[in-house]
Amino acid sequence: MQLKRTYLFILGLMLLSSFAVIQQNETGNKIELLTAQTEFEVGTNIILKFSISEVEQPLLYCSNSYGSTVISSTLKNNTLEFYIPENITKKIGVVNWKLLNETNPLSGQFNINPKAEVATLETYIGPPSIEAGGTDYTMLVVIPTDSLDNPVPTNTLVKAKHQFLDSEETNDIYTKNLISWRNMYSKKESGRMLVSSESIGINSKEFTINVMPAIPTNFKIAATRPHNYADGNQITTFTTTIIKDKQNNVISDGTFVTFFITNSEGNILKTTGTTIDGIATSKIIHPDYEDSWSIKAYIDGMSESNNISLNYKQVIKDFDVEFLDQNRTITVGPLHSFMQQMIPDGLHVKLHIFKNEKHINTITKTSFNGYVNFKLKPAIYNNDTYNFSIETAGLLKEFKSKELW
Amino acid sequence: MKETSNKYLISALLLGLAFHGSSIFFTLETTYDALIHLFFADHYANSWFEPWNYEWYTGFTVQSYPPLVHQSIGLLSMIGGLKFGMFSVALIAIVLFITGTYRFSLLMTGNKTVAGYACLLAVFSSSFVETLHIFGQLPSIVGVSVLMHALPEIYLWLKTGKKWYLATSLSLIAVTVTSHHVTPIFGMVFFIFPLIGMVIMDVSREQVNTMKEVTFKLFLNTFFKLFKRIVSFGMLSLVLIIGCIFPYWLNSKANPITQVPIPHGSRDNFLEITSSGLVFFLIPWGILLVLLPYIFYRYYSKRYLFFGLSVTICTILGTGGTTPIPLKMLGETAFNILTLDRFTLWASILSIPLMGEFAYRFVEGDLKELIQSKFGAVYHRIIGGILAGLMVFMVVFTMSLNYFRPSQPQKIKMLPIVNFLNQDDHDKWRFLTLGFGDQMAWLSAQTNAMTVDGNYHSARRLPELTTRPIERLENSKFKGVAGIGSLQQFLTTPEKYNLKYIFSNDKFYDPILYFCGWQRLRQLENGIMVWERLNIPPVSSILPKEDVAKWLKIHWGIMPFLTVLIAFILNIQMLWVNMLKTRFKPIPDFLKFPTTYKKFNRNVLRITHIWSIILAVVVFYGIYLFYLKNDSQRSPENAIIAYYDALDFKEFEKAHSLIDPESKLPIAQYMLEISVTDGLLSSYAKMDAIETEITKHNDSTVSAKVVTQWITPLEKIEKVDYKTLSKHKGKWYLQPDDLNNDLPPDQLYSDNATKYFNQGRRRITTEATHHEDILKQPVLEVVSAKLVQYDGSYAIIGEVQNIDNVPADVILKGTLYNDNNKQLATYNAKYHVKHKLMPKESSSFRINFEGIAWSRTQDSIPDTFNPDEFTPIEFEEQPTKFNLQVAGNVSGSDLYKNVVLSDINIKKGTMNGNLFNSGIQEITIPQLLITYYDANKNMVWVDHLFVKEGVRQQRKQDFEYAILKDGKVKIINDSMKNIFVNGLPNEDIANKIVPNRIVNHTNAQLQAIEHPDFSYIKIEINTYIGSPN
Repeated sequence: MQLKRTYLFILGLMLLSSFAVIQQNETGNKIELLTAQTEFEVGTNIILKFSISEVEQPLLYCSNSYGSTVISSTLKNNTLEFYIPENITKKIGVVNWKLLNETNPLSGQFNINPKAEVATLETYIGPPSIEAGGTDYTMLVVIPTDSLDNPVPTNTLVKAKHQFLDSEETNDIYTKNLISWRNMYSKKESGRMLVSSESIGINSKEFTINVMPAIPTNFKIAATRPHNYADGNQITTFTTTIIKDKQNNVISDGTFVTFFITNSEGNILKTTGTTIDGIATSKIIHPDYEDSWSIKAYIDGMSESNNISLNYKQVIKDFDVEFLDQNRTITVGPLHSFMQQMIPDGLHVKLHIFKNEKHINTITKTSFNGYVNFKLKPAIYNNDTYNFSIETAGLLKEFKSKELW
Repeated sequence: MKETSNKYLISALLLGLAFHGSSIFFTLETTYDALIHLFFADHYANSWFEPWNYEWYTGFTVQSYPPLVHQSIGLLSMIGGLKFGMFSVALIAIVLFITGTYRFSLLMTGNKTVAGYACLLAVFSSSFVETLHIFGQLPSIVGVSVLMHALPEIYLWLKTGKKWYLATSLSLIAVTVTSHHVTPIFGMVFFIFPLIGMVIMDVSREQVNTMKEVTFKLFLNTFFKLFKRIVSFGMLSLVLIIGCIFPYWLNSKANPITQVPIPHGSRDNFLEITSSGLVFFLIPWGILLVLLPYIFYRYYSKRYLFFGLSVTICTILGTGGTTPIPLKMLGETAFNILTLDRFTLWASILSIPLMGEFAYRFVEGDLKELIQSKFGAVYHRIIGGILAGLMVFMVVFTMSLNYFRPSQPQKIKMLPIVNFLNQDDHDKWRFLTLGFGDQMAWLSAQTNAMTVDGNYHSARRLPELTTRPIERLENSKFKGVAGIGSLQQFLTTPEKYNLKYIFSNDKFYDPILYFCGWQRLRQLENGIMVWERLNIPPVSSILPKEDVAKWLKIHWGIMPFLTVLIAFILNIQMLWVNMLKTRFKPIPDFLKFPTTYKKFNRNVLRITHIWSIILAVVVFYGIYLFYLKNDSQRSPENAIIAYYDALDFKEFEKAHSLIDPESKLPIAQYMLEISVTDGLLSSYAKMDAIETEITKHNDSTVSAKVVTQWITPLEKIEKVDYKTLSKHKGKWYLQPDDLNNDLPPDQLYSDNATKYFNQGRRRITTEATHHEDILKQPVLEVVSAKLVQYDGSYAIIGEVQNIDNVPADVILKGTLYNDNNKQLATYNAKYHVKHKLMPKESSSFRINFEGIAWSRTQDSIPDTFNPDEFTPIEFEEQPTKFNLQVAGNVSGSDLYKNVVLSDINIKKGTMNGNLFNSGIQEITIPQLLITYYDANKNMVWVDHLFVKEGVRQQRKQDFEYAILKDGKVKIINDSMKNIFVNGLPNEDIANKIVPNRIVNHTNAQLQAIEHPDFSYIKIEINTYIGSPN
């Protein structure tokens, strides 16, 4: 029984004491927010006021999208005043606050709204070059900002302006999610597009977009040459017609055109050229033997030309060969060109050397003043019997069983 | 007894400072090592306590070299700059060396006059001259000099047992340790051990009446008596050696030198490679060679017996690879790490006291009397004259060695390079120098920019470097195929190292730079060409480093100067006594054992005479052989070698003098013919080997087959020439070769071309480039790509096209994966692609996966290295998939396309053809890219050919190409799925610009060939223009 009473007594005491605590709290510190305004314009001074009954000054924890801070207050006539610092009031967005008071934690939020003024236009555009034809586009992004570098309110008018050839256009776009943007599609023509933007009286700088021609279409080729002889010296020039894209724009300078030449042997020769104002020019030296060429130009994977053919007439009809100096000096010539003039220096003459029907070596030399001399060095060609064949300008002469000693 | 100043020592100091002090300003900067120490000093000057250096080798620690000398230079640089610091330290080193030799000689001979002679001669000792003026090994000199200062103190400690001497000797050992690590370790063996022996001898000698009575038993007894002192000194100095540079040992343990040994001249066979013999044997020994019998005679006397052993071992080890003994003594590892010239240096330094002794006896002692009595006074003077003459000759010869055979390129003005690196954030990337020699260290000391290379090869960490026997990438052309191959790997994948700029002082490297995808930026005002590579990311702002504990950093920063400070305090008193005579002091113990110079041993004189005669005969025979080898017209072989050498070194006048005068080829014509031939072989090749096969016809005519091997930056070339030589008046001459007579049709002609200029940043601002100034990356399309296996190696081949409207620089990066998507290897296209493409131009490409491409680099690198014969390692996992990243950047350079394939002929596996240059630039190196196709016109392989000769304007150049014999190509994967252009999927981007591509458009224009495996080929031409104008 005694024990039971003791328990009851203790329980009673506990009950009493809990009351005492609650009472103390209720009679203690009471803080209330006095500032009713929750929408502020950016850049204005913001003061959060709290009524307070006690001397204690709690701190205010403040946080916006840029970061958080803790600020202290000034106490005036039982009113706590928190001056929100500039680095918060200068940025738009939601500010969350919380009073750092253990017993009476108050919290809340307010909005800082943008000003309806534009001080600068942050403008981005890219890519800086697009393709003509109406499918490729560049994207203009304009971010109008106020004097405190805050994006302006949603649905602020931005004028996207551009000039292209004869047209000057202005399009109205509105900011949304802090930015305004517009895809600027190319026209059919190539050229230079100048772009700018404007918002509430403020203009951006000028941007340049190069509208490049699209891929080339088929074209034609032609050849010019000083004469049609295969002298191995003069130069034939191939040119293309003006190469254009499907919108009739002249393709960009520097476009690479390959001219494939199939000769009568079926071998593929090639020469290349790059375009200037749509015309590619390419050169090739004349063959030094009678030949007929079939020429076709390509822009790889995109377009090609017609096929043209050229014939080169033989200039050297025949030539003399002389064996001197124990047959170790072979003189070829005179080599005459089409008007019986000496062939220009540099005609290739090949001497094939055979020993016992086996090819041992080929010596290639170039003509000088219409002649070529071969000297067979004893170190390489022992005293023996050899077969020779001499090849030049597509002609072949054979000399059997010549003895060197 | 009042001591007088030693006038020999004073004059030696004055002479030494005047002679070396003035000449270092002309020699030190062109030495091998001095600038490296300067770089280290710069590191300490900027961050004294931070041992990690980012500037070399993608980071290394300076705790890999004892710091005292570097820190001293660094400290002095605060007063008057780095070079002031270096020269000041060099002057201190000279003083230390001269006084050191004096004290060492005094210790050895116990005679002040002899010691004076010795230090006077040491000033002109050719080994010292070479170490200082040619090698620039300041730490080594300081180390050995301080060691010589320590020797008398050690002697006195062992002899007297006074603790004071233990303190002084240990303080000096500590300074030695902090200045050079190898010196005290080997110094223990070669200087201190024999000294201990000598002390024991001296103590034993004091117990008996004559030296003869010193028996082995007595010696052993004395040894045990002194054992405590010896051991205490030994243990304490061991503690110092480890303790003073503890961070060094810790670092050596953490980063052991596990690199392929780098060849060093001191390990050569001096008889075979005579230049090494000259530099590492003849010069350091110099006049001492004549005295060798005397040195050995004296050092094998009882008192010096242990020095005799020491000098013998040093001499033998110093002979390098001439005999197999050093290799056997040191073992494979030590032999390949140590530079053996230091043994010769120590042998010569050990000999200095005896050189002084000999000089003393010759000038005013018993030897003079002996010679004068035996041969007369005139003979004595003549001998004296000869010896002095030889001495002076050796000094002059050594000093001028760098003048006649420069080991370094001409001094480069660094300021334009430093300015270049400082402007426009160029130091945000790593750079590489080519052909700078050791001056690269000086450049590094002046800039904050980092390089992938470096000049202290023991600290290298990249496996690409440590697995190759090359010192620096910088001078890789001197290291043959291995050197060029290593360089190529860095040039091919520079983004791995953030390597963007190359400063080239040697046009030899230009072709490889071009064909690896680099472009010329501009020539700086000091003539250095700057090359850049596009699409390289900058170095990240946080770089990895191997950090060490703070106490190690503090230890490293403080200990060296602390040792100097303590040594200074402990020894300054001694210095006062020895130098300035302020206080009377008892004679040191070693002066109690003077040698009496009464009777010069006749036999020694006799042997010295015989030895001198032998030496003279050898020298004259050597000169005779040299003459035979160099008399260019004595034999046809000599004439040919001289002719090719002259061509190799571009000495055309000399080459012309070897041309048969009867051919009446005027030099003007000859020069004209030579100068018009440009190309890989004539402008960018270095002769590696020459072999001649002479066929004699009669006494005055021979024919020769000349096989020459040339190292070019691109590949090794073998060339076979047939030459005829004739003999006129006992001299052999070469017959001139025929000339290409090709005559261009036009005198003057015009050519129109589209040229491009990229402004870079349009606004002059230090801000980041404005976004509107950044060009769009040109769009490329990979038309086809496949992973193939050919001849055991893997490659990605394919075709890439520039489908944009601007010219593009193309970088192709391939990565191989196995079935489990594990990355196996990654590499870039080297020269199997045209790196610069005009709008709509296409190029075949091939990406090889060379040794370092593979993830398991260490295993894959073969011992013998040939960049062309890379072999992929054995994997369990075979590559089955690939990823291809293509990056295009706008580039306006190297867009010369006026080269024409004007003729072609295919016969029996050989393709002959002509290239014709239709434009207005001279083509220096034409390159053919040959693409192979199978019967269905599927691309299967890409090969290349560098045409050895250039093509002049409007001229033809023939080429010959051997069609590949073996053609078993296995196509592993031809999926085009994982191909990205500028980071975007290839297919999407291509469909946007070329929606209706004509597939296999030019397949109709493939060249048919007869081959069992291939049916068609395509030829593309790429050109390198050496000097665009």
